[in-house]
Amino acid sequence: MSEVAHIDVDLDPLEPSLQPILDQKSLRWIFVGGKGGVGKTTTSCSLAIQLSKVRESVLLISTDPAHNLSDAFNQKFGKEARKVDGFDNLSAMEIDPTGSIQELLESGDANSAGNPLGGMMQDIAFSIPGVDEAMSFAEVLKQVKSLSYSVIVFDTAPTGHTLRFLQFPTVLEKALGKISQLSGRFGPMLNGILGAQGAPQIDEMMSKLESMREVIAEVSKQFKDAELTTFVCVCIAEFLSLYETERMIQELNSYHIDTHSIVVNQLLFPKKDNECPQCNARRKMQKKYLEQIEELYEDFNVVKCPLLVEEIRGPEKLKQFSEMLITPYQPPEGN
Amino acid sequence: MPSLLLFVVLLSIITSLISTLGAPAINQLLWSLYTRLPTPLHNLVQKNAVLRREVFQLRTQLSGISAQDDFAKWAKIRRVLDKKNAELEASQTQLTTLRSAFDSRAGILRWFITTGLRMFIQFWFSKQPMFWLPQGAVPSYAEWVLSFPRAPRGSVSIQVWGFATGQMVSLLFAIIEQVYGSFFNAAAAPPVEEPMKMAAAPVTPAKEVKKGQ
Repeated sequence: MSEVAHIDVDLDPLEPSLQPILDQKSLRWIFVGGKGGVGKTTTSCSLAIQLSKVRESVLLISTDPAHNLSDAFNQKFGKEARKVDGFDNLSAMEIDPTGSIQELLESGDANSAGNPLGGMMQDIAFSIPGVDEAMSFAEVLKQVKSLSYSVIVFDTAPTGHTLRFLQFPTVLEKALGKISQLSGRFGPMLNGILGAQGAPQIDEMMSKLESMREVIAEVSKQFKDAELTTFVCVCIAEFLSLYETERMIQELNSYHIDTHSIVVNQLLFPKKDNECPQCNARRKMQKKYLEQIEELYEDFNVVKCPLLVEEIRGPEKLKQFSEMLITPYQPPEGN
Repeated sequence: MPSLLLFVVLLSIITSLISTLGAPAINQLLWSLYTRLPTPLHNLVQKNAVLRREVFQLRTQLSGISAQDDFAKWAKIRRVLDKKNAELEASQTQLTTLRSAFDSRAGILRWFITTGLRMFIQFWFSKQPMFWLPQGAVPSYAEWVLSFPRAPRGSVSIQVWGFATGQMVSLLFAIIEQVYGSFFNAAAAPPVEEPMKMAAAPVTPAKEVKKGQ
């Protein structure tokens, strides 16, 4: 197959487990992402559970407007971090973008613009795509400032917006940099024109923007540091999922965000004497793609999780499933 | 001075040639000559050509592999291709900026060689008579016109000579273009269709009548 034969005796394939992530104490931000239906939420919840055993405090944030954390844990979560039942150092938060925007607009427009304008602003703001990413990013900023959790796990939304959100710091930083530069030049002039009325407001806004820019620069730096941030890709052993995963990994590389773990979910391990044609065909296909995954992602930790016979909902089942992320799953004899 | 006369004629011919060939073609020619010289630019152009070939090879390789069956191999080639593509684009933009800078400099050079040189020569030799007209060949006011700016009366000034040669050369070029063009058109045009057989018939009796006479 390849022209040069590689005989790497000392380079065994990396262990198929997420133990390295648990071991890496310096990690602060962990993203779990992958295109729809592959088991992102299950994986992120399981990872958070495992992390809570070896870390001081863990926060699980969902940026998906579909409230899946509540479904996974059978418990209602909101935009304030709430402790998960049965755990003493694991909290979860579901960011509701519509609610946050409403709050923002209400607080902002209370003193200035008239009511009709405020209503229109609300409608416009809701329809801007990517607004949930912006809101979750604002949440990230708050967390960076407060430093109250030792590790934060993000269950990212299944759309392609995920990576745009990760790029948000850079874009915003540039924009804010330009704005503060411009204001630095024209600020005094504007102050002179607007008179004493406008001056304090502009100064206030400028100082707020400046402080925001600093925080964003800090966040951007942290995301690009492999010691602090990592991305776990979740996929299934099918062509489209694989293609999407490869694309996502290349995009992450271009943003210099570290990724070295892949979780392959919903694998079938049918018995040798299994007669179900669908299971056997699917197993064959999955085997083919698993081989490709192993070949392509030699320097990744590839975790293989089986398809279970029951749904993984509720903290108990999640705890059971989370063990499979750490100790590799051994299929029963027969496949 | 005979050499000056010839020089002016030569200059007019060169100017007309340049304007006929067109600025882009000249720039292209100069660029290809310039990049042959052993400068860092030469290396850049070579690297660009190498990159282009590599990208093409990788692309053909990629299209020969089925992503479904050999995903790992396909993805590896794709990664290399993406990297090479990025390099190629960077190299391309670099070359384009260099090329446009070169083009503007070539334009200036061209201007100096043609218009600039012409103006300089006309200024430098403005008092110099080109050749002397035989006495009485033209009336006195014509003599004044022919020696127009500063040449002595009875001679032809360099400006007038330059003007005359310029007109001659452009006329010559126009004629050559026409001949060339019509020659090409004749060669390229489809052969004239044979006259229809029916038309031949009425001609014959007239011919016979003529022969009979």
